[in-house]
Amino acid sequence: MEAAALIVVLVIGLALFFDFTNGFHDTANAMATPIATGALKPKVAVLLAAVLNLVGAFLSTEVAKTISGGIIREDEISQSIFPAIIFAGLIGAITWNMLTWLLGLPSSSSHALFGGLIGATLVGASAAAINFGTVMSKVVLPALIAPLTAGIIAFAVTKMAYAVTRRYDNKPDGRDGFRWGQIFTSSLVALAHGTNDAQKTMGVITLALITVGWQSAAHHEPQLWVIVACAVTIALGTYMGGWRIIRTLGKGLTDVKPAQGFAAEASTASTILASSALGFALSTTQVASGSVIGSGLGRRGSKVRWRTAGRIMIGWVLTLPAAGAVGALAALLVVWLGQVVGVVVGAVIAVFVVLAIFLRSRRNEVNHSNAMSDVAHSGSAVKVKRNPPPTRRQRAILREEARRKAEQAAREKAERKAQARAAAKKIASEKKAADRERAAAAKAKGDQR
Amino acid sequence: MTVEINWIAFLEVFGAALLAAVLVVGSYAVALRLLVRAGKAPVVAPAEFTDAITVISEKEARRAEKAAAKAARKSPLTEGQKKLALVGAYGAFGVSGLAVLAGILLIVFNH
Repeated sequence: MEAAALIVVLVIGLALFFDFTNGFHDTANAMATPIATGALKPKVAVLLAAVLNLVGAFLSTEVAKTISGGIIREDEISQSIFPAIIFAGLIGAITWNMLTWLLGLPSSSSHALFGGLIGATLVGASAAAINFGTVMSKVVLPALIAPLTAGIIAFAVTKMAYAVTRRYDNKPDGRDGFRWGQIFTSSLVALAHGTNDAQKTMGVITLALITVGWQSAAHHEPQLWVIVACAVTIALGTYMGGWRIIRTLGKGLTDVKPAQGFAAEASTASTILASSALGFALSTTQVASGSVIGSGLGRRGSKVRWRTAGRIMIGWVLTLPAAGAVGALAALLVVWLGQVVGVVVGAVIAVFVVLAIFLRSRRNEVNHSNAMSDVAHSGSAVKVKRNPPPTRRQRAILREEARRKAEQAAREKAERKAQARAAAKKIASEKKAADRERAAAAKAKGDQR
Repeated sequence: MTVEINWIAFLEVFGAALLAAVLVVGSYAVALRLLVRAGKAPVVAPAEFTDAITVISEKEARRAEKAAAKAARKSPLTEGQKKLALVGAYGAFGVSGLAVLAGILLIVFNH
């Protein structure tokens, strides 16, 4: 029991470290678009994101309950080995997160966490310990459906925002005003991030507490100190992650217009908040990326760069099994070496791997290519024309203008012709008169002779 | 082993998210449109000018302000109509803000 308690303390520490890296990684995702459009100063954006992540973590605990009471069947796992399995799962998630960060691969912290936990449980316990129904309905399907939902909504509302504010007389359209709105929508995204991502760590800690009997299995609600610890940690990670945004700003962010950014953020926030209320554990990175792609397509003359989009999606699909494989390896150590030795060896290997990745990453200079957020990167999956083709109404106006011009030109031509004809007539009549005068004068001269 | 999936919940998320996004973005866009009608086209310069911002430069912002002022002077609306448009704009901003607030309150009270 003492060993299990010690492992639970380690699990809490590791889970909070994961929470910190989650906030650190996702600041850029929440605040990439408002900074790109100039709606917020980077420092203000980072501070706002941190505060709202903190507030969001207190708003709902549905996602935490999904993780602590739905994915893994506690009754199918021996109490003595359970904390070690959670520990192995966390090691899988953190290692995969760090690896994808180093390689610049698109990934999701949330799916790395689920993958790690599922992989470790499969190896450390059995397939019967995993509630595949909940995994499918609350993790896998939302992972596939939510980015699509956010993308479709972002596409529709971007079209709407442009259509409502479009002017056909080339006068100011007031779309700059979307910059004000972006302050609120990006804040909502940060709040939504707190309601979903902070919950995942709360769920893992609650699960660990239940396994050693420090919390009743009948109540999967996270305890207050767990909520406070996770909220503060994710907020701290968010604030500390700000330097990445500031470095990213040099170059590299895609050309996001305020109306597009506003629509994308509104779509992201509404999708995450609605999902959080129903306990769906989403990847905020994937939802925000879906919105950025959808809103990009909502602009006229845009098309998908399928190669880039495909690479991003493969990264997403790979995250769950890959983190699961790392979690399974860590769980294998626990199974082979016993829980205490296995956990210690696993932790030492993980520390070495994480340190090696960190030192390797220090060799490369941080620039836009390796510091760019996944969401900003997903924006490059859409190619937007600098001069978009005209809308149907604009085409009609252009046609009407061309017709009017042609008519005007024809009228002017006819007038010029008439004028020329009149002038020629005048000249001819003047010539005739002069000839007549000359003939009359000649006749008069002849008569005199 | 049977896997029960609550498809209705996905539809609920889609419906709720779409409704919220349409309400927030739609009313905000209408508010901006009415602001322009009222002769107060907003010209909001970026908070910070960095290399990343290709949307607008300081020079472009000044030019946009001049164009907005010129367009406002040429507005065919009467003063009363302009005031009405301004009230409508603030009302639409209010609807957008209320939609956000209602969404958050729904989550807090459902919790």
